[in-house]
Amino acid sequence: MTRSGEEDRAAYVSPEDVRRLCEFLYRRTGMLFAEDKRYYIDRRLHERIAATGAQSFQAYFALLRSGLDSEVEHLVNAFTINETYFFREDHQLRCMTSDLLDAVIRTKRPGDPIRIWSVPCSTGEEPYSIAIWLMENFPDVDNYQIEIVGSDIDTRALAAAADGVYGARALMKLSPALIARYFESASADGHRIDAGLRDSIQFTEVNLIDARAMAQHGRFDIIFCRNVLIYFDDASRRAAAENLFDCLHPGGFICLGHSETMSRISSLFRVCRYPDAIVYQRPETERDHD
Amino acid sequence: MPLVRRDIARPTTASADEAAARDALRSADPDMRWNAARALGADPASVASLAAALSTEPVPRVREAIMTALMRIGNEESVKALLPYLREQDAARRGAAIEALQALPDVTAPFLSALLQDADSDVRILAVELVRTMPAAEATRLLCEVLAHEPHPNVCASAVDALAEVGTRDALPALEACARRFADTPFLPFAISIAVARISDGKG
Repeated sequence: MTRSGEEDRAAYVSPEDVRRLCEFLYRRTGMLFAEDKRYYIDRRLHERIAATGAQSFQAYFALLRSGLDSEVEHLVNAFTINETYFFREDHQLRCMTSDLLDAVIRTKRPGDPIRIWSVPCSTGEEPYSIAIWLMENFPDVDNYQIEIVGSDIDTRALAAAADGVYGARALMKLSPALIARYFESASADGHRIDAGLRDSIQFTEVNLIDARAMAQHGRFDIIFCRNVLIYFDDASRRAAAENLFDCLHPGGFICLGHSETMSRISSLFRVCRYPDAIVYQRPETERDHD
Repeated sequence: MPLVRRDIARPTTASADEAAARDALRSADPDMRWNAARALGADPASVASLAAALSTEPVPRVREAIMTALMRIGNEESVKALLPYLREQDAARRGAAIEALQALPDVTAPFLSALLQDADSDVRILAVELVRTMPAAEATRLLCEVLAHEPHPNVCASAVDALAEVGTRDALPALEACARRFADTPFLPFAISIAVARISDGKG
């Protein structure tokens, strides 16, 4: 495939341009994209330049910085990765019902709320997985008011989550019985989460490093924050960890992705080793002094 | 359906009041200080307030948040606020400062030559730890200078250990010269022989 010289000039993005864009993205979101991701960055940047009709990177960058047309949101949506599936890393879901909820309900009375946060929730597979898992595996599910919130920085993913339609790949770990119980056919190759489950989960937009936006969500008993902190640099990872700490009740738990460890990010949390998973806990009490 | 859904308030759009947050850093309430530190991580004008708060803050959680705010601001003033903690007697504070400075390699780099020649050998050892996280070529250059001039065998040992991890082949002559210089301190030539073998076997 060849392109005209005019098109090449319009699309030309120098390494310095990429650096400026990455710096802008970092300051706005905390996400860090290194030079070794150049192909990934270029592809998405060119898509956005074409979509906005900008004649050059400079024109696009000016649009981005102006805050017009929600272009920052569109760019963030383009740069976030949204591939996941139901019951991914289900050992943590097992840990939730085998151990974490036992600890949580020791501090509750029947009828009390239990709040669980999936952040980032991407296109909804994780919060719906939590809901299905609880319905299937938590004997006390009817004895508490269980509130599940799914949040993400990517508004396009949130819209898909609220819509709740999934293809075969997303459902690959679910048994036919579970699919029959919690989904309805939406199209030839798509299944839709049933309306009751869909309406029971609140989806919100949030940036993990925005302390105020995070705090608006209140405190949770369990947070699933998986496979996102790896994209942050050290400073943003620590800021996110502090915000997550703030959003946990004392004694509350946080589950990270299998390649992530809170101990290397922050000393705020206690490591809890359970048979099914290693999770991190906000201590019940804090040391007030050294 | 045992699941319940409650609306969550949308974040307010009012801009943060940094001046109020700086005042709150001096509050008697640790939660207020904790929130204040986290609110100031995007405000370069708050470095002096954060540095002052760090020097007196007794609560580890709040201290960590202040360090994070200085890391996020990440300018020269932030580094200057963190550097005194390399001399801190408390290992946790010293370690936290090292972590914060390691996250700011470009801004810390101009201070390294002076740190590597500090009168206190413990500070020089910590400076070697800062060099360890720098790009290989620059780390090798700085660590070779340490090997050439450093009088304290423990500082040289730290440099050798760092070179074993990040050094390039350019370090081999300096390592061999250091082994000769410390021939009477057997552990050092031994450590150097291991570093030389690792670098020679690697692609450095």
